[in-house]
Amino acid sequence: MTGFGTALAVESRKARASWTLRVTGLLLALGVPAIVASLVVAARGGGTPEARAQLLAKLGPEVVAADWHALVLASTQVTAAASVFAFGMGASWLVGREFADGTVPALFGLPVGRRAIATAKLVVHLCWALLVCVALVVVLAVAGLALGLGPLTGATAAGLARIVVLGLLTALISLAAAVVATLARSVLAGVAVAAVTIVTAQIWVFVGGSVWFPLASPALWAMHPGSVPAGALALVVAFGAACAALTVEAWRRLQLAR
Amino acid sequence: MTETLLRLDGVGYTYPGGAGIRGVDLAVRAGEVHALVGLNGAGKSTLMKLVLGMLRPQAGSVEVLGAEVRAAGPEVWAGVGAFVEHPLTYGELDSTTNLELAARMHGIARGDVPAAVGDVLDELDLARYARVKVRRLSAGNAQRLGLAAVLAHGPRLLVLDEPTTALDPAGIITLREAILRRAAAGTGALVSSHHLDEVARIADRISVIAEGRLVGELDPGGVDIERAFFAKVHEAVTA
Repeated sequence: MTGFGTALAVESRKARASWTLRVTGLLLALGVPAIVASLVVAARGGGTPEARAQLLAKLGPEVVAADWHALVLASTQVTAAASVFAFGMGASWLVGREFADGTVPALFGLPVGRRAIATAKLVVHLCWALLVCVALVVVLAVAGLALGLGPLTGATAAGLARIVVLGLLTALISLAAAVVATLARSVLAGVAVAAVTIVTAQIWVFVGGSVWFPLASPALWAMHPGSVPAGALALVVAFGAACAALTVEAWRRLQLAR
Repeated sequence: MTETLLRLDGVGYTYPGGAGIRGVDLAVRAGEVHALVGLNGAGKSTLMKLVLGMLRPQAGSVEVLGAEVRAAGPEVWAGVGAFVEHPLTYGELDSTTNLELAARMHGIARGDVPAAVGDVLDELDLARYARVKVRRLSAGNAQRLGLAAVLAHGPRLLVLDEPTTALDPAGIITLREAILRRAAAGTGALVSSHHLDEVARIADRISVIAEGRLVGELDPGGVDIERAFFAKVHEAVTA
């Protein structure tokens, strides 16, 4: 692929300067632990009886135990929803900004091809998502220790690692936003896809749909690893790969007739 | 014989609404500044988009630096500098960083980037804005920076669509000198403009485009170039 190394260096530099990626990443990495920490505090009796009852109804009796297991479980549930939107927005912005900012004509007539540029954008997206997920679990661990939940056990560490994998699988799913942002030439169109993905996945889980549905299987796996076969997760990877291939091909064939 | 850097033979492209260009033959030779003048919607930008692969011709062929545009590889595009609609610059980055990234995207080796960027910052009188974020630059300076981004790698062929639109008189003179300096060194340039006086100062040839067709040439040294331009446009519109 012509000029991929150059494209990756350029896209990485653009991403480092991006307030969109910075703010979105920080909101996810700090927001999820903040929400979950407040839930743990509430479960310990920090809230009203009504609030505790609502918590029980929403997150289940395990969370009300207010221990490491509760923290990991609640974090998994919140991350499953929040990361779809955050990573969908990131993916959409990374490709759609060239249309929104009007810079896309300047990406023609270069020795670095548009396939390389699009691929570099997707690689940057996945690296950013990994960085955010690692930061998120580090903050979660610090929050758990600060809340006095005791030393980290192997099971807790495994749960935190699953959150990182959940985030990466979600980042793959969110590449659907990159496809739509490219085809529609609009950041907002990609963000809309992220919103629809959240709603669809949540409803799917709520009605107890099949674990083979790629939009829902990462969250189901992260909460109950034994309930989701490896094949279902492979399907998520295949879905992400298909979205990546479609995005790159759309960039290769791009024409500016409108 | 002077090398032809850009050649369009019978090129046509029609948008769904019916606008576009048709039957365009045009050439830009080494060391030549070829200006393209026309009213809004005449087809100037469409022609330039076809040259750069933003549109695929529905008829005819486009050759850039000897290669059919559809098959042109990185070695061909490394010799082209183009400014159409928007420059390769990003608001969140400062001028120097934008030029460094543009230089890399135009194929300059990493080790040669600082010197190339420093030279073009000085040439386009942008050194004082070197560490200013692009979003804080005036429209004219942002345009100057965009032009610097397509000049830094020393292209053999320049394709510039309305390059003076936002420039102040000093910027226009700076750009004019930059283009003429490169043309003297063998670079060919295709430049579109509304400003007849301006193109008359730099162009070796002036082609008039109207209703999507090249309808004749103007003499850059002519005494009443404006009258000659409107006569050709009127002739094309009423034909």
